[in-house]
Amino acid sequence: MPNHYEVWGVTMLKKNINKASLLTFADKNRIYILFNFVFLFMTLLAPRFFNVFNLTTIMRTLAMNATVAIGFTIILIIGQIDFTIGTVVTLSGIIGLGLKEYIGFGGSVPVAILAGGLIGLINGLLVAKAKIVSFIVTLGMMTILQGAIYTFTGGNTISLSSDDAFAVSDWLSNMIFPLVTPRVLITLVLVTAATIFMKKTRTGRNFYMLGGNKHTAWLAGINTDKYTIAAFILSGVMAAIGGVFFAMESAAATLNMGTSSLMYVISATIIGGTAMSGGKGGVFKTFVAIMMLDVLYNGIILFGLGNEVKIFIAGFILASVVLYEAYAIYKHEKIVGQRPELLKELEKVQ
Amino acid sequence: MENNKLSETTKEEIKQIDSRATSVNLFGRVMHYAGIYAVALMFLLAGIVLQSLGIINNFLTTQNMVNILDAVSMLGIVAVGMAFVTYSGQFADLSVPTTMALTGIVAVQMLQYGFLPAIIAAVLAGLLIGLINAVAIGKYKANPIIWTLAVNYVTLGVIRLVWVNKQIYPDMIAKTQRASDLFDAIYRLRFFNKIALPLILLIILVVFLNFIMKKTKYGMQLKITGSAQKAAKFTGINTEKIIGITFIICALTATLAGLTITSLSRVGAWYNGTGYDFKAVTAIVIGGMTLAGGRGSIIGVLGGVLIIGLMNNIMTLLGVGTFSQDMIRGFIFILVVGINAKSLRSMGRDDA
Repeated sequence: MPNHYEVWGVTMLKKNINKASLLTFADKNRIYILFNFVFLFMTLLAPRFFNVFNLTTIMRTLAMNATVAIGFTIILIIGQIDFTIGTVVTLSGIIGLGLKEYIGFGGSVPVAILAGGLIGLINGLLVAKAKIVSFIVTLGMMTILQGAIYTFTGGNTISLSSDDAFAVSDWLSNMIFPLVTPRVLITLVLVTAATIFMKKTRTGRNFYMLGGNKHTAWLAGINTDKYTIAAFILSGVMAAIGGVFFAMESAAATLNMGTSSLMYVISATIIGGTAMSGGKGGVFKTFVAIMMLDVLYNGIILFGLGNEVKIFIAGFILASVVLYEAYAIYKHEKIVGQRPELLKELEKVQ
Repeated sequence: MENNKLSETTKEEIKQIDSRATSVNLFGRVMHYAGIYAVALMFLLAGIVLQSLGIINNFLTTQNMVNILDAVSMLGIVAVGMAFVTYSGQFADLSVPTTMALTGIVAVQMLQYGFLPAIIAAVLAGLLIGLINAVAIGKYKANPIIWTLAVNYVTLGVIRLVWVNKQIYPDMIAKTQRASDLFDAIYRLRFFNKIALPLILLIILVVFLNFIMKKTKYGMQLKITGSAQKAAKFTGINTEKIIGITFIICALTATLAGLTITSLSRVGAWYNGTGYDFKAVTAIVIGGMTLAGGRGSIIGVLGGVLIIGLMNNIMTLLGVGTFSQDMIRGFIFILVVGINAKSLRSMGRDDA
């Protein structure tokens, strides 16, 4: 009889399985448990949920936000915040489609992604070199970009109607494997690459160190400014990739296509267990959280419930997770430094 | 005599040692001494110069000045309340937009029982959101940005669930003409045919909240809590309560603004108040309050609000489009904060 269990790749010794360690285990992997629960619930109860067509729809819906969330997770891991992701999504979509007439997709897509990187670079420089709080920098940048987008497009949706544009759009939405379209594939590759990069390479792990304690990271010889700027550039690039391919698939870039992304990506990243204080979390967990939210939304729509239920439940989940985490720290702080064995002795004496 | 001499030399030495204090750039020094009103004055002068050059008209008229104040009074009401949150080192309260929407729509719904019950219900609704924030952030130390964002979302969901995506109109809900008229008057009542009620409210709030922040025991404790929360806790200050109260103040001022904006638009709907969170943060930060907490004043925030009003007014008179205005506002926002942070650092007060 084996003396250990293997659960989701985590080895647990049998003798260690008691209530407390199970709780810790559940807490550490809560996003996977949550996802499995939601998925099972929808599979069993939601009408027309579990079929290839619907699941592909879910994957296609989440592809954009999952890409955007990669960059945002890294930003949260280094302990900063980036409010520009939503507007970068919109901007990249507009650049990607708007320049297509002049330089073709081969030229416009790289330009759009570069534009995202450039915005990230400016944010990063202002945060790292000018030492302005990222909350302020990205908030201001968001306002600037919103103004720029409306000024340059004149408030109009950019849509493509040429045959070759439709061909690209069709190709991007065609299924190549079950559940996977080329755009989904791009997202999956990026998520996998980012997960490996963040967990297995020295550079990736340095981001965690920077977020955990900036001063220690600096003392350990990490160029903190460089890493901060790199994180912001990554965030901009990822948001741009998400936006430009989404716009290409729908052959249209509306001026508010990124507006809902911001709130959605922030929620998913937090629910996935990446702490705003930095140094904790992971890209893959965020991806699972995004899958969970999208399965949930899809199910809500399948049940015939409206948008308002969706908003309410999303807010409720986010609030519960934030409160739960805060409460856990609160409880931990109450007992930290206490030594139960000494307290017991004290009781005996009394 | 001896003593005097010693202090003289010490002063000299301190000046020499702390050479950082003299390396402040001119703009930073002006900002530090004259506060944000120097900048406001600069905008006013810019407006006057532009008018004298004949580029814009009707800038320096009583009516235009009243318009500027009218336009920013609601923002001012929100900002002076949220300033407490920023001052306590908790960044911002992003649940303000839906607090405004919820209190507005609750008030409109309760108008069927009369004007006073409507106001009381709105205040209670605002108080409820304030209390929720106070407990979660004050007691359990949830991250203020994320938590208030979540509360914003939940409240939005509640409004849209309860009122099923509908808008409600005060004149259709109110049973009596009087209640409906009174509700309309919240925004439209004018003293001496000029000064609107929201402006009076703003002035009262500024005086009252400034008194609380600078002169009372609570204000002193708040300053320490904002500057160094741990140190404040070790000196025996109940930081949980201090921080909690700031969120209740913020929710209550948001309630006032919510009633005003609902009275202005004559409709209770979920989108009332959209954007007021970031606008208020802009005003607060331009007004010289730092996000690190414990620095700045309500008077400064009022200055920030006035600057935004002046800036909008001048740009509109110049014929700058709404969206270009957004861009310029964003630039100025980052610029002002950057200069402010830089001058604070060069004075040896290192924080953002």
